[in-house]
Amino acid sequence: MLAAIGTKTVAGVGNAGRFARFMWHSIMTSFRSFARGQTYPLIWTQMHLIGVRSVPIVMITGAFVGMILAVQAYDQLAGMGLEEHLGVLINISVVKELGPVLAAVMLAGRVGGALTAELGTMNVTEQIDAVRSMGTDPVLYLVAPRVLACLLLTPFLIIYADLLGILGGYFVGVMQLKINNQAYWSFSASGVELWDVAVGVVKGFFFGGAIAIIGCYKGFTCREGAQGVGQACTEAFVSSFISILALDFALAVIFKGIYNTFYPYRSLVG
Amino acid sequence: MIEIKKSKIKIKEVKRENENNQAGETGLNGVLAVKNLTRKFGANIVLDNISLTIEKGKTTVVIGPSGCGKTVLIKHLIVLLRPSSGEVYFKNKRIDNIGESELNEVRTRFGFLFQGGALFDSLDVFENIIFPIRQHCKITNWSEIEELVKAKLAMVGLDGFQNYYPANLSGGQRKRVALARAIALNPEVILYDEPTTGLDPIRADVINELILKLRRELGVTTVVVTHDMASAYKIADRIIMLHNSKIIADGSAEYIRNHPHPVVQQFINGQVSEDDLAVLRMSGTISKAQFLPRDFKK
Repeated sequence: MLAAIGTKTVAGVGNAGRFARFMWHSIMTSFRSFARGQTYPLIWTQMHLIGVRSVPIVMITGAFVGMILAVQAYDQLAGMGLEEHLGVLINISVVKELGPVLAAVMLAGRVGGALTAELGTMNVTEQIDAVRSMGTDPVLYLVAPRVLACLLLTPFLIIYADLLGILGGYFVGVMQLKINNQAYWSFSASGVELWDVAVGVVKGFFFGGAIAIIGCYKGFTCREGAQGVGQACTEAFVSSFISILALDFALAVIFKGIYNTFYPYRSLVG
Repeated sequence: MIEIKKSKIKIKEVKRENENNQAGETGLNGVLAVKNLTRKFGANIVLDNISLTIEKGKTTVVIGPSGCGKTVLIKHLIVLLRPSSGEVYFKNKRIDNIGESELNEVRTRFGFLFQGGALFDSLDVFENIIFPIRQHCKITNWSEIEELVKAKLAMVGLDGFQNYYPANLSGGQRKRVALARAIALNPEVILYDEPTTGLDPIRADVINELILKLRRELGVTTVVVTHDMASAYKIADRIIMLHNSKIIADGSAEYIRNHPHPVVQQFINGQVSEDDLAVLRMSGTISKAQFLPRDFKK
């Protein structure tokens, strides 16, 4: 029993160490690759695959989040005669938390899984070894463009999710539930600050980086065979999902601390 | 001989130290050497205290049964795997303990043909072949690169296949394209990992002829890992046999043919061992009980 716990602990610490080293190497190489002209075409390709092709799924996610929030919150607010504040509740939830987190979760499934499957297949068919055998760092050629594409485009995808979330909330709140249009936007404008939008977008950098690095790491370390690649994809999604939630919590605490240092407390229903 | 013209394609500075082949500080002769190399995967010892030297310009063939560590050995020669203990030398310079960036410079002087070809399936044949050139050379003249790729493909008999993707090629064609890619940077050493495995005898012989042609025309040092004895006899200047993680025979093709070790004779003649036969006998005769009844489907 104790031996088993010890073995698992040693293996866990070893894996954490390997991941930390991979992450450090990936981040440093990604920044260095900015100075390397050959990397740019690879980044454009990945931006198309990772960013442009993810726009529809992220927009659909955002729109449904906004609509569902409106449906669920309306009765509670109407019961207190505060239905005109629905816009504040929806929009601040979407831009600060639900938009970034749910868009990132969708990306973890769509992009993280694809990265792991692609690099995992390259790994088991010795294509990564082939890159190394030709004197090229596989992290520079394969990981850096993917990390940079995720890092740069996830914030933009979050903006799309936010936009469609706001429109979805407006569609249900104003057009279906007949809340006064002017009051809806007026309360929204007074309740949602640029800071809130910026917090959500900044989270996108961290979420994008985590999705790409975890996806690439799982691909680079996956075991041989179809089962190995499949398992790596599952692990990549689960790890990315947990990382997104953990990062979201950490960033929420940090940004709240920063906000409270510079700005006074504000109530959303004042 | 095809050469990258350095005047037009600026090859990145590669440190070329200690070019001579004299015995250096290591006391090891030859272009490549391993000294007391041991490699373990967990508790499994795959290579046990192996020492060997690869001579310049010669073809050395490593034979042995499946799973004996041939591929692990060849991957150590280019340090795709790091030894558990022991040393690897390239031109008298120890390379198993240097960093990856320095190692990448050394690797540009090698060509490696992987067992399955390891072509990048998202790139076509042309892009696969120019991959190492793109990584290490500044391309200023694309028409010259096109000529270079054409020449490399002509060497392996596949000129005209530039726009094909690996998925559209046969196994033999993939290996030939991979070979064209391996020689793209005019390497000094070419390592082949089971180059004829999975090919019909005629295609396998085409690969053998290619290996001989490249050695003849480019003067490269060649290391081939195989269990195809017809191939080994045809191309080898020297044959090394691995068994139970150790070298059990080392010499010319003629020497190996007449080697007294029973395991060597059994392997080169492709004979089943008495132990294997005993296991088959113990498993009994094939009775009806070992087959599903014809009407097992309802």
